[in-house]
Amino acid sequence: MVRYVIKRLLWMIPIALGVAILVFTLMTATPGDPAQTLLGATATETDLAAKREELGLNDPYFVRLGDYLTNVFIKFDLGASWVTSVDIMDTIAVRMPRTLVLTIVTLIIAFGLGIPLGVMAATHQNKWQDSIAMVLAMIGVAIPNFWLALLLISLFSVKLAWLPPMGIEMGLVSYILPALSNCTGALANCARQTRSSMLDVIRADYITTARSKGVPERSVIYKHALKNAMIPIITAAGGAFGHLLGGAMIIETIFNIPGMGTYIIGSLNNRDYPVVQGGTIFLALAFSLLMLLVDLLYAAVDPRIKAQYAGKKRKKVKANA
Amino acid sequence: MPETKTAAAPVQQKAKKKSEFMRVMRQLSKNKLAMVGLAILIIEILLALLAPYIIPYDYAKMDVVNAFQTPSAAHLFGTDDTGRDIFSRVLYGGRYSITTGILAVLISLVPGIVIGAIAGYFGGQVDNIIMRILDIIQAIPGMLLMIVIASVLGPGFFNTIIALSISSIPGSARMLRAQMLKERENEYIEAAQSINCSKFRIIFSHLLPNCMSPMIVSSTMGVAQTITMAAGLSFIGLGIQPPTPEWGAMLSDARQFMDQAPHLIIFPGLAIAITVLALNFLGDGLRDALDPKLKN
Repeated sequence: MVRYVIKRLLWMIPIALGVAILVFTLMTATPGDPAQTLLGATATETDLAAKREELGLNDPYFVRLGDYLTNVFIKFDLGASWVTSVDIMDTIAVRMPRTLVLTIVTLIIAFGLGIPLGVMAATHQNKWQDSIAMVLAMIGVAIPNFWLALLLISLFSVKLAWLPPMGIEMGLVSYILPALSNCTGALANCARQTRSSMLDVIRADYITTARSKGVPERSVIYKHALKNAMIPIITAAGGAFGHLLGGAMIIETIFNIPGMGTYIIGSLNNRDYPVVQGGTIFLALAFSLLMLLVDLLYAAVDPRIKAQYAGKKRKKVKANA
Repeated sequence: MPETKTAAAPVQQKAKKKSEFMRVMRQLSKNKLAMVGLAILIIEILLALLAPYIIPYDYAKMDVVNAFQTPSAAHLFGTDDTGRDIFSRVLYGGRYSITTGILAVLISLVPGIVIGAIAGYFGGQVDNIIMRILDIIQAIPGMLLMIVIASVLGPGFFNTIIALSISSIPGSARMLRAQMLKERENEYIEAAQSINCSKFRIIFSHLLPNCMSPMIVSSTMGVAQTITMAAGLSFIGLGIQPPTPEWGAMLSDARQFMDQAPHLIIFPGLAIAITVLALNFLGDGLRDALDPKLKN
């Protein structure tokens, strides 16, 4: 188990390296002169040349890439923003928690509603409850999050004035609308996944056994069946997290939440390359860590998977069998 | 089943292919939701194609006197801040959104299939290297990757399509690879190898056709997702730019007038949602029709 975790953690180094090279190359390929953007249209040619020299833009691609990788992976320094000169790591430390809060609140809403909805659909298969749940899920997938955001703002902020339309001044309350607008896709997927994995489990013999022992129906469904149906649902949660993180980029710009999304998108517009690079590497690492956590969660839920992670010995036995 | 396919004479094979297509269509026609989805899509495509003959007003014509009209008989969906007719713009916008979705997915399928086929057929080290590269690309959240690529390419209709298709390559490659890995264990592949079929031929005329079902389903759903993402890109100003009547760009325009004219937000978004819903209905139906095993 520990070996497995270490292997996965080590594997994150090449991932981060690859992401760094990829984003750096993409930024180099971006047309336009960052010096011009930074200094504005009125800058003189000598100022521009000096700025380019200062930013190291005159060096060949491989020299700059080498410098960047050395800074990031050996000195653990993402550098400073070209625009504000503020250290990028410091900014991420402030902004990442906000993006995480948004994503986690969204995930809680999505799975808090999605799992019961899916269970209801599965326990009432082919009845009206099932149809309604599945139609709702279909609609949930179809609604674009940025459109729902606009609709929710115009209802709850403009018309009813219940919730703030932007900013995070009101603490968790300010995350309600953003999370609601971002959750529909994940909610729908979770409901569908729960339904189908519950349907797989619900006809198993041990469920019949539990019922015939006189276990109350509620406990049969939630304790016996749902527990075994959890693995595909956790997979869905892991995938959803990545999706929500991506969706948060747009949601943050709409609600003006100063998180990672507004940071990176704003920096793209300002040609603030170190921020885009640093932010992307950081998010990719966070995402990989999360996937590892999801895999570990499987092991916690399913002892059979834990045995697989345990090491080679076990695998050999399996191969012989 | 596949064994008989390769053994059959060419004529029979053709007949069989046709009947397979008919079987899928028959199966699909029994699925009410899929038919509804298909009908909506056909109507939408017709409306978009015939838009110049249907629209009551020029989609770009400004008419400031009639700005911010709420929906009425004269302006079915109302008018925007410069008095342009929203109904005409939404119909015209279908051209951009639907084309973007379909083209982006089609373009991404070509490299996706080639990469996936190579990884899936050859396996071993080749597969390992390709998969690790895909791992790196997919470590970046999809929407973020698309935003970065879109900003590298710059805004515009074709650049948006390219950005969308580049970011969906890893997904389709991965999917095809998984399918190939399963399919290549079949005996008919061993048979093909034993009669010295070239690798190219095994991959493209034996394996690929048998791997297509999930690809068709995921591409249908992919078009839906791509339409949403394209609208999202335009919405944050990185995709198709206003005054082009693309649905996302229209929403982005409408945002600033949210408190005075909420109807501006409703129709372009509704158009996106209905299109995506229809595509998902169709995709679900196709999945059931193509692979009876996957049902439920």
